[in-house]
Amino acid sequence: MNNYLIALLAIVFVLSPDVYADNVAEKNSLEKELAYLAAERKMLVTASKMEEHVDKTIATNTVFTQDDIQHIGARNLIDVLRLVPGIGITQTQTGWREIEVRGVKTFLSEKVLIMLNGHPLDHNLQNAGSIWVYDDLPVDTIKRVEVVRGPGSALYGANAFLAVINIITQNAKDLNGLHTSAGWGSFDTQQYRASWGKHFDNSAEAALHFNFTDTNGINSPIKADSLSVQGLNSNAPGKSQLTEGRYDLEWNLGYKDFKFDGRYINKKAGTFFGAATILSDDKTRQDYNDYFLRLSRNWKVQDNFTIDTQVYHDFYKADNIWQFTPSYFARTGFQDTRTGGEVQANYHISDTHAVIGGFSFSKEQQGNILDLGGKDPQHLLPVPLLTAEKIRKRWGLYIEDVWDPLKNLRLTVGARYDRYNDFGGTFNPRMGFNWEFIKDYSLKFSYGTAYRAPAFGELALINNPVLLGNPTLKPEEVKTFEAGIIARPVMGLAAQATYYHSAINQIISRDPCQAAISCYGNSGSVVAEGIELEMRYDFGGNLQGSYISANNVLQHSVQLGRQLADVPRHRTNLTASWAFDRTWSSFAHVLIKDGTLRDLGDTRLDVPGYALFDVGLLGKNMFGKKVDISFNVYNLLDKRYYDPAPSSLNFVGDYQMAGRAFFGHISLKF
Amino acid sequence: MIGVQTISAHLKKMYFCKVLSLFFFCGAAFAQTGKVLIVNTDNSVFRYEKIATEFKNALQLNAYKWTEFDLERHINDEEELKRLIQEDPPGLVFCLGSEAFLLADKLAHNKKMLFSGVINWQRLAIGEKTNGVANELSPMHELSLLHYFFPSIKNIGVVYSESFSLEYVENLKKTALPLGINVISRSNNGQDDINAVLTDLMPKIDMFWLIADPGVISGLGTMQQIFDTAKQYKKPVYAYSDVFIGQGAVLSISVDLATIGRQAAGLAIKMDMDDKAPSGVVQTPVGSTITLNKCVLDMLKLKFNPDALDSVNDIVGCGK
Repeated sequence: MNNYLIALLAIVFVLSPDVYADNVAEKNSLEKELAYLAAERKMLVTASKMEEHVDKTIATNTVFTQDDIQHIGARNLIDVLRLVPGIGITQTQTGWREIEVRGVKTFLSEKVLIMLNGHPLDHNLQNAGSIWVYDDLPVDTIKRVEVVRGPGSALYGANAFLAVINIITQNAKDLNGLHTSAGWGSFDTQQYRASWGKHFDNSAEAALHFNFTDTNGINSPIKADSLSVQGLNSNAPGKSQLTEGRYDLEWNLGYKDFKFDGRYINKKAGTFFGAATILSDDKTRQDYNDYFLRLSRNWKVQDNFTIDTQVYHDFYKADNIWQFTPSYFARTGFQDTRTGGEVQANYHISDTHAVIGGFSFSKEQQGNILDLGGKDPQHLLPVPLLTAEKIRKRWGLYIEDVWDPLKNLRLTVGARYDRYNDFGGTFNPRMGFNWEFIKDYSLKFSYGTAYRAPAFGELALINNPVLLGNPTLKPEEVKTFEAGIIARPVMGLAAQATYYHSAINQIISRDPCQAAISCYGNSGSVVAEGIELEMRYDFGGNLQGSYISANNVLQHSVQLGRQLADVPRHRTNLTASWAFDRTWSSFAHVLIKDGTLRDLGDTRLDVPGYALFDVGLLGKNMFGKKVDISFNVYNLLDKRYYDPAPSSLNFVGDYQMAGRAFFGHISLKF
Repeated sequence: MIGVQTISAHLKKMYFCKVLSLFFFCGAAFAQTGKVLIVNTDNSVFRYEKIATEFKNALQLNAYKWTEFDLERHINDEEELKRLIQEDPPGLVFCLGSEAFLLADKLAHNKKMLFSGVINWQRLAIGEKTNGVANELSPMHELSLLHYFFPSIKNIGVVYSESFSLEYVENLKKTALPLGINVISRSNNGQDDINAVLTDLMPKIDMFWLIADPGVISGLGTMQQIFDTAKQYKKPVYAYSDVFIGQGAVLSISVDLATIGRQAAGLAIKMDMDDKAPSGVVQTPVGSTITLNKCVLDMLKLKFNPDALDSVNDIVGCGK
């Protein structure tokens, strides 16, 4: 036996150096070849012979790829956005989520423009914003999420105020067959998805997506409402009733240079607390229908001159029943449409100089207004309409010049003028540079302005003794400058530090007035400034696929000399993804949020900060690359934490958020 | 007045230098120090370094001198290269890699240019007085060899990025048709899911051709995806370099880098000796190494022309 072992050891000692040496040499050769390809990749020469240098944009952006989304175990768009530096997500009393960007948070998140494949989704003209049906958008069909922080009105027009979130979904080429997926998790959450795509030989292509999601919600304990604190009959103490169910269908059809795409969504939801000061019972119901249709065509005039044209029709319908008191319900509904078109010319003057310019126009209309009230939600009677039917016409002209006067310098200058028939015109410029002052070290600077158009509800709210509209409202304005440094000191490591300063003026807010308790008006201003620090390291070699990343924001948003309520001074995300092999990887995420102040006059203690820990396990490309599975645990340590309830609900305490939650997901490709 | 006098004196001085230079340097215009400028994208990259070394060896044997400029080692490479070209104008600029060529082409107006190590040179705008040695073998050469080795192969699949390889793949398709080979191509811009492209392509082909496309082979992971998918569909992979034999390629025809370096030096000397030497000449590499992976060949039970074994330089078995 001993002799056998000695012989075995001898063989190992004699043979292994050669085997090892062979393996090392093979690996070295491969790495050398990949290094060569990487060196060649640095200089991209497109079909139009235009050089494009990577990382030259002046914008501050964050991109999540489909692979990133799978690794973080995101269930919906909100799960993706909460990892973006400078963005925070909180719960509202009515159900939808608030997207806080760079220290500014509003109830409707109307200062953030969400787009789907480049098409704006701010279809709700009454109350603005896109979160109504898009905050819990399923992510299984998403290919990429691009988040650009800072003003974007110079290119996108209205409401690209604090950030632009562009969601890009999988196309026919990405799908190439049938993809299905299903997920189940805590709170009776279930998600199903089916997608099919094919690229035909005659250059036709088709992609279809169907999503279904349903959840009972987190059933957060609600300790009190305005009735229970007075000892009156009430639903409190009780639980939140934010059930949410949705299905949607998206299509993307193409033939030669033509494309027809769109998405239809139906969403039904309960409410978290309710629309008033009492805890609603299960009779509160929100029902939304939303779709857009877009027909576009790309015209190639010359190799260096192309024109993109599109016409579109957007539709949004709300039909909601709200409980205002235990025995009074209101049913409010309306229907919004936006029909318009856009022409954009793209001209590459030279290899280092490109100009785009365009013209857009649209007609927005609100009608089919429904206002009912009464004791029995099944038999409500008409009440005086709270909002008026309205038509708005608008057009816009824009131009942007991107010029690389030096190989290591990019200048961008652009501006847009928008004209509205109701409040007039607004001009928004944008300019900046990106200068690689040392190899792999770049400086960025940009200045831009943006506007948020008054919503129909803010202009034309009538017959409401609490709040009235103001037809003379002007758009909100923001002026932002930001400066940043980007460094890639070693292979795989990218770090970025950005300072921003935004001055928001003409804020549309509720001011005391004679005709009602308050009226909308342009008053007040906010100054928001902060520093965003980001770092990501992607491992190479045997650890390829693993990464660690961190981002931290220090922000200070001031109104009337006081830090804004319900907004933290700092927030940190720490993430790590570890690839065990080519199939299995694990993920860990820590979110650390600072405590938040209360509004002036709110005597409650400040909302405490917290740290949450999420973990996940992902298996990709199993069983012949046809199966992906994942399992995630959110708030692993079951930390009890709260999102702030507004001062008007100070008797509620705060909104207790979900404890430990699980979600399992399986995806099949055929 | 003072300014005019100064300029006049300066011009006289330049004229005197020019006359002198005619006497001393008329034999070999850039056979003097600094007259060949080697611009390297990144000398730490093996392929560039190997070609450069052989190029310099060949120049040395012919008593030429050179100056080197490595873009990777200069903070402000454009400014510094511009200054170098202005202060010591080279007779010829030899560029290694796309980045070096694009930069030098922009800065060295009317200079004789030579390039090598550039992936798919046809995507570049080649100006006058420019010659080169391609990075790829001629498609006809490779296709003929493939046809010789594997006579039964009719459908070959290629995944490419339009940014880097459009012209190369179009040429490949045209060249393959007369040989009775159908090249089925799928473009992938690096952001699309390569899995979907591969799973669409693999069932339609007899062999997968891995081309040197930086937009497709974006890292170790993508490369492994390609080989895994090929293995799953039991499709052989033909690769442009023998470094992929260890990953499971059945055959590779690799260009010989040392030969490319010597070829480039030969072209450089020809361009120097003959001012009327034709420009726009891009030679294909003349040296290559054929490597056969016998292990994969047997595993996939491929029909291989036994007569072709004589042409193989290196046969790799399962033991390695």
